[in-house]
Amino acid sequence: MRTHDFCDQLTALLPRLRRFARGLTQNAADADDLCQSTVERALVARGQWQEGTRLDAWVYRIMRNQWIDETRSRSRRARTFVHEDEGMNVGIAGDRDAENRVELGNVDRALARLPADQREAVVLVLVEGFAYKEAAEIIGIPQGTLTSRLGRGREALLKELGETA
Amino acid sequence: MSVTPEELMALADGELSGEEAARVEAAIAADPVLARRLEAERGLRAALRARLDPVAQEPVPLALTDLIARAAAADAGQGMTDKVAPAPAPAPAPSPAEVVDLAAARTRRKEAEKARDRAARRPNVPIFADRRMAFAIAASLVLGLMLGSQLHRQGPVTQTRAGLAASGSLARTLDRQLASAGDVDGLRMLASFRRQGGDYCRVFAGTATSGIACRRDGTWLLERTMAGGGGPSSDYRQAGSVQGDMLTAAQDMMRGDPLDAAQERAAIEKGWR
Repeated sequence: MRTHDFCDQLTALLPRLRRFARGLTQNAADADDLCQSTVERALVARGQWQEGTRLDAWVYRIMRNQWIDETRSRSRRARTFVHEDEGMNVGIAGDRDAENRVELGNVDRALARLPADQREAVVLVLVEGFAYKEAAEIIGIPQGTLTSRLGRGREALLKELGETA
Repeated sequence: MSVTPEELMALADGELSGEEAARVEAAIAADPVLARRLEAERGLRAALRARLDPVAQEPVPLALTDLIARAAAADAGQGMTDKVAPAPAPAPAPSPAEVVDLAAARTRRKEAEKARDRAARRPNVPIFADRRMAFAIAASLVLGLMLGSQLHRQGPVTQTRAGLAASGSLARTLDRQLASAGDVDGLRMLASFRRQGGDYCRVFAGTATSGIACRRDGTWLLERTMAGGGGPSSDYRQAGSVQGDMLTAAQDMMRGDPLDAAQERAAIEKGWR
């Protein structure tokens, strides 16, 4: 593999990766951090990418997995160290931030309320434009599971956004 | 003719083959309820895109493009070291293909710089970047104290009249380790460059501490230090942003381009003079 082909392609993907990161995290600072760690991971693992396969799907999978790890460790931390001020309002940080932000658009709020597994399905297909098969591979689930998450996520969004969507 | 919600969703997502799509479309054309539903599906897609697409239009942060350009440059340098005896043997002239690699890496960096200049003209961006640096510099005052205790055992930092200076293992690594060497004993060289005035400087990332050291009168003075940033166990949020801040700071100090692998090797051989 020619390294700078890989690097060129990765650089060209950055705008889309940033969009996906924002869709997943619902928060600009988290999205920046997620992009940074994803790019670092992708560069370290670049020998594992198989030429001829889609680089975008490969990097999206890395990003998605990094975010899952991050949210898990955050909820673990939240369970272990519950700050007094936070009281009972403990969830994953993304959701908490979303609840606390005042100037949150309808779409942001609706997306933030989705369970994470539905949100990633919705974002991969509706925003990132992946086919069902590709989205299912990125998440690592059967296609039937993907379409059912997508269906439920969509239903919830349409209900929340109603006619404004 | 009935259409399931799954079929309608698949049509909206472009998942149906020509024949299936035609059947579902025909059913929808005959049923206003289904037609409204399809319209709502498409409206939802448009609303999500309207919200998230602008993120893809924003300028990409310099730290990200730099990270990739540096990896490309490091690999180009690695390509050379693989073929020759390890330093300090003099490097032979690189083959034309490798020259192209380095030039491409430099081009990418130039582009990143241009992007940064463009960003600098936007009111919000540089303020944010500067504020992060301001924190970093303020933090380095505190860290100057911490550094000594943190790293005292190996004695890599000493207090001199000119400020904190690298000594011991840190100084040796700064003297000799190529950026392309990656992580060696928890310390990585991220970049080398000359600053205004001509001194050589190196950006390093260690498990405990990262920073920028500049060569002055035969010693490496620590110009910037931050906790963390290099180790694989570093905090998720921290590692990336520490390196990003360091590279942003380096860019502000830099005169010309960062050294490529051959220039770095030459500087090592001449003892960074």
